[in-house]
Amino acid sequence: MKLVIDNVSKQYGNNVLALRNFSLELRPGVLGLLGPNGAGKTTLMSILATITRSTAGKVTWNDVDLAINPDAVRAVLGYLPQDFGVYPNLNAVEFLEYLAAVKGLDAPTAKRRIDELLNLVNLADVRKRPLGGFSGGMKQRVGIAQALLNDPQLLIVDEPTAGLDPEERVRFRNLLSDLAGERIVILSTHIVSDVEATATDIALISKGALVAHAAPEELLRQVEGMVWEWVIPSNELTAAKQRYLVSNTTRRSDGVHVRVLAPQPPAGAQPVLPTLEDAYLYSLSNHRMGAAA
Amino acid sequence: MNHGRVLYHLVKADFLERVRRYSFLLTLAGALYLAYAVLEEKAQLQVGQGYRGIYNSAWVGALMTVTASVFLTLVGFYIVKNSLQRDVQTRVGQILATTPMRKSFYTVAKMISNFTVLAAMVVVLMLAALGMQYLRAEDLHLSLWKLWSPFVLVALPAMAVTAAVAILFETLPLLRGGFGNVAYFFVWTFALASAVIGADDFAGMHVFYDSMGTALRKIDPQSGPSFNFTIGNQRPYRTFTWNGVDWTAHAVLLRLAWVAVAVGIALVASVFFHRFDPAREFSLWKQKAQNAGANGNGEAERVAVGDIHASVVLTPLQRSAIHGRFGQMVVSELRLMLKGLRWWWYVVAAGLSIASLVSPAAATRQGVLIVAWLWPVLVWSKMGARETQHATQSLIFSSPRALYRQLPALWTAGILVAILTGGGVGIRLLLGQDWHALAAWIGGALFIPTLALALGVWSGSSKPFEALYTVWWYVGPAHYTPGLDFMGLTPQSANAPVYLLATIGLLAAAYWGRRVQAQTA
Repeated sequence: MKLVIDNVSKQYGNNVLALRNFSLELRPGVLGLLGPNGAGKTTLMSILATITRSTAGKVTWNDVDLAINPDAVRAVLGYLPQDFGVYPNLNAVEFLEYLAAVKGLDAPTAKRRIDELLNLVNLADVRKRPLGGFSGGMKQRVGIAQALLNDPQLLIVDEPTAGLDPEERVRFRNLLSDLAGERIVILSTHIVSDVEATATDIALISKGALVAHAAPEELLRQVEGMVWEWVIPSNELTAAKQRYLVSNTTRRSDGVHVRVLAPQPPAGAQPVLPTLEDAYLYSLSNHRMGAAA
Repeated sequence: MNHGRVLYHLVKADFLERVRRYSFLLTLAGALYLAYAVLEEKAQLQVGQGYRGIYNSAWVGALMTVTASVFLTLVGFYIVKNSLQRDVQTRVGQILATTPMRKSFYTVAKMISNFTVLAAMVVVLMLAALGMQYLRAEDLHLSLWKLWSPFVLVALPAMAVTAAVAILFETLPLLRGGFGNVAYFFVWTFALASAVIGADDFAGMHVFYDSMGTALRKIDPQSGPSFNFTIGNQRPYRTFTWNGVDWTAHAVLLRLAWVAVAVGIALVASVFFHRFDPAREFSLWKQKAQNAGANGNGEAERVAVGDIHASVVLTPLQRSAIHGRFGQMVVSELRLMLKGLRWWWYVVAAGLSIASLVSPAAATRQGVLIVAWLWPVLVWSKMGARETQHATQSLIFSSPRALYRQLPALWTAGILVAILTGGGVGIRLLLGQDWHALAAWIGGALFIPTLALALGVWSGSSKPFEALYTVWWYVGPAHYTPGLDFMGLTPQSANAPVYLLATIGLLAAAYWGRRVQAQTA
């Protein structure tokens, strides 16, 4: 099982380059695709989900070019788009039955699978209620269920925790980890904590380009010995932000606790253990400075 | 708050949002085509027994104005009847709802915005009229007043009323959707017909009817009071000179009164306007669902919480279970089409179906079929458009062989609806071995859902089919018009080969459109 993204670019109109020469090879596991808003994550997801085509490069699933034969992956694809709709007159069961038919599942299998999935996403109690009355988080859970209908080998989820309450978010993270096993899961998000909890691999994307692709531990190693906590008076915060890369600030009674990324510590700063958010910010900052230079 | 400034920006933003869409270019192109049709004498104004005016400024202005008033009051309605819906869909409405803006202010602003779009098309025709007088070259003396005053005093007030009625329809829950689109056609027909009985109609036909009739009687006192706007090759063969409407203060005030009526309609619409209150936007079933949620353990926002750390239990799926039976897909599409219809819809459909089967006289069966194939118009109209309207494209187009399974299944389901509602006539024709009529019936049963599918796929909206089909149904089958009777109700009006060929063309268009969608969803 192998998904290869080979030098893929995507251009919208004449001058909007959403993806540029993006390459990545994926094996079973959870890939966390992290990047700021507008980085090109959704464009990449759409290409991998075969609903749009790259303008250059190719994507292959088990060595089959998806531009030539998209059905090679569609049969084993589960896709949760960032924005999707539902048919408001249908209830959750009917909607999933419809999508199961579209995906080609036979009726008895679909029925069994839908029962399991509605339990899984905690919607069994409202299974007969029209989707038009569902809240955003409940619709998102219907989306998660439909992505799992065909027991996908490639599961692509784009900003899946948007609209979920904290408890459902934790539940979904656990679900992704449990599902990982023998399938490729691509989790696209800008929420670092979602990736931190589930990803076996991380790809950082910025302005359509791949900034880094590594295991979380490797990314953390890059900022080891570079993260400091510094307590300063609040009136010095603006100056500190101009001078250092600040990943977090917390106001306390003794002043502002500033988390700083720097090769050398500011005077009086104490070393702290790096988090994935520190590594993410550091990589993006480096990439921007490199691009500016 | 400076109301003038707020109004200006509301109208400006709405206008810019519309004119920057490709659909606006299409509407301008449509207006230009109208001008071309008039120039080519495909659209003609005929007075008395076969008279037309010579092409002086007055006649050209009147002819183009009548064209604008007739077509844009109908087509224009469908073009602009989405301004409120757009604010709901884009959720801009929720932002507007939090401002101090009054409901009446909003509906009047939307009416003005609708009016500017329609007026833009009238302006295109005004400019075209200028060129037309020179191209026809029967009277080269140009009088801008005579040429353009009918546009200003007849067409623009008609556009104002159309703009306001569109807002009223959008605010009334019953008329907001497909039913309103169909109903407007009959309202429009009635409104235009009122000119013939001497009433001052909003489209301004009565103004010309009076003035031209008076001028014609001076040269041909025997000439009857006929006033026809015709489309096609039927051309008047005699000419007379008409020097335009005598715009007395009374006549001008009567026309301007329609602008006041338009504002009045917009103000009435504000009474029904939901001001983007989600509770009022909800239809009945949604309210029921919400109430159930509110009373049932607060389920609308929160459902029973399970153990968040529980392991996932999903039975692995056998790949052999994924084989995609076409019949199952057709049933799913049919269920989706019919879902949400009320019980009385089925009762009427069943009644029509039975009546078409058991009616003893062929003429009665024809009458029943006319109604039976109008009844599912709102079912067919969503074909091909549903995925866009409900933003489910990415879910469906990422499924295996969606183009080769889902689209044919949808088409088949549409044909099944035609068979279920009008099948009785088909059975009777089959039993009677009336092969020509049966071929025409099959042509209709295939053509109608295919037209719906193609229009739905390409427009992403149910409105084009609802509007076009209703007009076509009225002009064609309801009047047994040869060439336009796609149901083939009489031997004279039936043309099965043409509609079977059109079905193939439309099906190819639907396939091509869906293919484009699937690659760019």
